[in-house]
Amino acid sequence: MRTWSRGRTLGVGIGLIVLTNAIALGGVWWNRSSTPESALTLSERELGLPWRSLRLMENSGLALNLNLRVAGRQAGEFAGGQMVNGGMPEWLDAAKMAALGFPVDAARADGERPQNARQLPREVILVMELAGPAWQRALEKARESAGRHAAAAAANVGNKQFADRAKQANDELAREENLNSRLFVIDAGLDARLLREKYPDRSRFLLLRGTVRPVTHSRGDGAHQASGYVSRVGNGQVHVPHALRGPLESAPAIGERGSGGLRFSAELLVGRRLEPWLIGVTPLAKDIN
Amino acid sequence: MPEAPAPSRSEAQERVDGIHSFRDELARLADEGILRLDAAQQAAVQNHHEHLLAEFAALFDVDCDSRAKQLSLGMRVASFLGALALAASVFFLFYQFWGHFAETAQVGILIASSFASFGLTMWLQRRDATGYFTKLAALVAFACFVLNITMLGQIFNITPSDKALLPWAAMAFLLAYTCDLRLLLAAGICCVIAYVQARLGTWHGVYWLHAGERPENFFPVAALLFVFPLLVAHRRFPGFAPIYRVFGLLCLFLPMLILSHWASGSYIDLDADLIEGGYQVAGFVASALVIWLGARRGWPETVNTGIVFFVIFLYTKYYQWWWEIMPKYLFFLVVGLTAVLILLILKRLRQTFHAPAGEGGP
Repeated sequence: MRTWSRGRTLGVGIGLIVLTNAIALGGVWWNRSSTPESALTLSERELGLPWRSLRLMENSGLALNLNLRVAGRQAGEFAGGQMVNGGMPEWLDAAKMAALGFPVDAARADGERPQNARQLPREVILVMELAGPAWQRALEKARESAGRHAAAAAANVGNKQFADRAKQANDELAREENLNSRLFVIDAGLDARLLREKYPDRSRFLLLRGTVRPVTHSRGDGAHQASGYVSRVGNGQVHVPHALRGPLESAPAIGERGSGGLRFSAELLVGRRLEPWLIGVTPLAKDIN
Repeated sequence: MPEAPAPSRSEAQERVDGIHSFRDELARLADEGILRLDAAQQAAVQNHHEHLLAEFAALFDVDCDSRAKQLSLGMRVASFLGALALAASVFFLFYQFWGHFAETAQVGILIASSFASFGLTMWLQRRDATGYFTKLAALVAFACFVLNITMLGQIFNITPSDKALLPWAAMAFLLAYTCDLRLLLAAGICCVIAYVQARLGTWHGVYWLHAGERPENFFPVAALLFVFPLLVAHRRFPGFAPIYRVFGLLCLFLPMLILSHWASGSYIDLDADLIEGGYQVAGFVASALVIWLGARRGWPETVNTGIVFFVIFLYTKYYQWWWEIMPKYLFFLVVGLTAVLILLILKRLRQTFHAPAGEGGP
């Protein structure tokens, strides 16, 4: 193997740096150069500040956590089965998994657990709805749970167990009304255009890339059913540009000890490569208590 | 007649070591009365060697005696640790302060640091005869380039992609071949391994970050790495071909070892016991073949890697078969006797290939 001359090596190295940066920055320009694919106004509920204690002293950057929720199959006593940043949604059945490109064999669909059917996650496009019917159902469940436990506590005055359960259900309702994310994953597909036709409201339905891992869901009667576990691609964070950092710089996160957290609204855009970016952060008058 | 190209530092060091070996052997032959050069021949050889040693010492600062060689080893270790520490320092330096700058400045700093560190490496390479400072600068240049692309991804929320591994590999190879650096060659090879297995996974529809969960995705890149030094001669880079072969073998044996105990990671849709048993047999056969090939071609690193994995495959089987049912003294006796048997086989093999051919032979 021959070695290159110093000039040629220098040229190739500089060319490599220039070309790589040009491709990366060109992709950013391409993503942001047309009408945004989605444009939503989110709050601190959906774009959570990291806890100050977790913000590394060595990292001066700031990114907000995109909190998505999945209305899961297993409804808990208080939480109503909604999981944050991943879960097994009801709508992700065998037919949907097949539509997403997963080979779902007949045995699996019929309920038998196949011997060697371990499949790996695939990238899909997730549709997330802001404050829609899925969130309304979660809110209704929390209200119904709070009401039921309050009635049980009233019927058993003096019983600490009933009182504690009623308080817990009431706290969960308060969280659902004020703190929990209202962004629910409601659908998934492989074609962004088709999904946008199905969900045309760009200010309510957010399209982002995510992954689905096939799982076998037990129906409870010993039979099994093909399903999928949804999670967000990447680290699920949105970088806060330097110009927008001001109000968030030293603000506490929701639930952080010793404070109530900052209320704010944030304008999130998503481009044609389904990559998001923030264009505005507005602090609201009142802190969360 | 065309002028011979200038040697690399490794070639110069090899030549210097050869001169010292020649002088030692010539002195022994003279003592034993086998060969004695006349005064004119001695003077000619002596002058030629002194001229070469002076030239190499001036050009590459090669180790001209055993004491210098020992010090060089220490310098290599210090250079390696320093290079890693400086690369980490660059990462943390940027993380410490990047949030205080606007995006344009962040991008400017990242690109400028890539250019500056690469330019510094090229500048140092011309002036640093020892190569140690060049190694430091080259690793920092690679770290700056990796940081450059990673941080662009964070700043602009770019979807993570395996394609970033390609320019990283290209930069690592460029620096490795320019500055004769095995550490960066290994970094480049790791990027290629990650990229090829991720692409294979993606072609099967798997999200690229999970492609490694199918160990068979590593087999094609194993073949590619093992064959590459056979297709492209590395005479000017004596340490490079063994690194390709070792990484190729790791990409072959580690997946085999995993699949011999974890059939559900395989693409093959057969009974789990059959898959695991098949990979156990394949592991034994492949490691035995690799030992034979390494001994035949005079590739010591290939022989050693083959032996290590043959022993691992063997001992894991022993553990599965006998750990529970045998008294521990008997189990370890069997293990010890097996080691003796392996030694005898290797001794026999060494006698068979008494005169190995090929590069890097013992």
